[in-house]
Amino acid sequence: MRLRVVDAGTYSEPVQQALERVLTDRLAAGEMEPTLRFWYRDAPAVALGRFQAYADEVATDYVADTGVDVVRRVTGGGAMYVEPGSVITYSLYLPRAAVDDDVAASYASLDAWTVDALRSLGVDASHEPLNDIAHPSGKLGGAAQLRSGDAVLHHTTLSYDLDVAAMLRTLRIGEEKVSDKAIASAEKRVARIGDHTAADRDSVIDAMRDAAGDRFDLVDGTLSDDAVAAARDLAAERFETDAWNRQL
Amino acid sequence: MPATGTVKVPDGKLIEVTLEATDRIEDVRLTGDFFLEPPSARADLEAAIAGHPTDVDRETLVEAIDGVDARLIGFDADHLAAATLEAIP
Repeated sequence: MRLRVVDAGTYSEPVQQALERVLTDRLAAGEMEPTLRFWYRDAPAVALGRFQAYADEVATDYVADTGVDVVRRVTGGGAMYVEPGSVITYSLYLPRAAVDDDVAASYASLDAWTVDALRSLGVDASHEPLNDIAHPSGKLGGAAQLRSGDAVLHHTTLSYDLDVAAMLRTLRIGEEKVSDKAIASAEKRVARIGDHTAADRDSVIDAMRDAAGDRFDLVDGTLSDDAVAAARDLAAERFETDAWNRQL
Repeated sequence: MPATGTVKVPDGKLIEVTLEATDRIEDVRLTGDFFLEPPSARADLEAAIAGHPTDVDRETLVEAIDGVDARLIGFDADHLAAATLEAIP
């Protein structure tokens, strides 16, 4: 299958999350071809799972003081703390016909090329059901999916060299864990690609493109100005608003 | 006072049900790190739990939850029923 690769474009977290809605809908409407998009961010943020309670997940005082954007995704799953340059996020927008209808099987197959890429760099990565990519030392990242009309959105965030201390200040998983033992345990659950390979972040993305190329016919592309404009409008209307982000 | 019941699915997701339990279950809110398709079915699941008497049994709740046209991913009706019962004081 031909797969367009978009490896450019830096956007705020609300616009990134709005793009997920816009691009999934465009794929479903037949207005966009199957696409793999790598994300570039401009600020630290929290991407909250669609069904998570804001106050359960986020250290609200710290987030208010630091101005970290907290944006509710269109996909379920757990909260991720993200920073520009220290995580790798990508999205696949695919027709349903190209994706296993069994959800567990589809997570495994849509992350398989990433696992291959990490292994090619010497990182002992594996898919861990339902939706994690794991290393023996902890979780490297997680995926989340949305099926909408004829489209499947599959997006994954991996830690390259995430600031785990900042993550623990931002998310409530760190808040109540006052003992050193508990913090050590939380840190242990996060594994980082950069701790297990000499490859820099761009080289990891190159390896991922190579691995994707073993499965798909890749062609380079860019997002249309029209799609980005639609995402900016949708961000202003929904993903930048408390009505959406703090609905739960 | 709303009360909360939490179920951690083994190797899976966290399901949290918050509700008011006087004579009947009311004001149900389902949250957690689960997946659900379509996402709008969250309101249908909450509605399926609401209205039952507070001494409802697990089988009745499971049946009501199973009646919702939705795909529960990372949890099942039994986990949701268990979280509901845990929230009832």
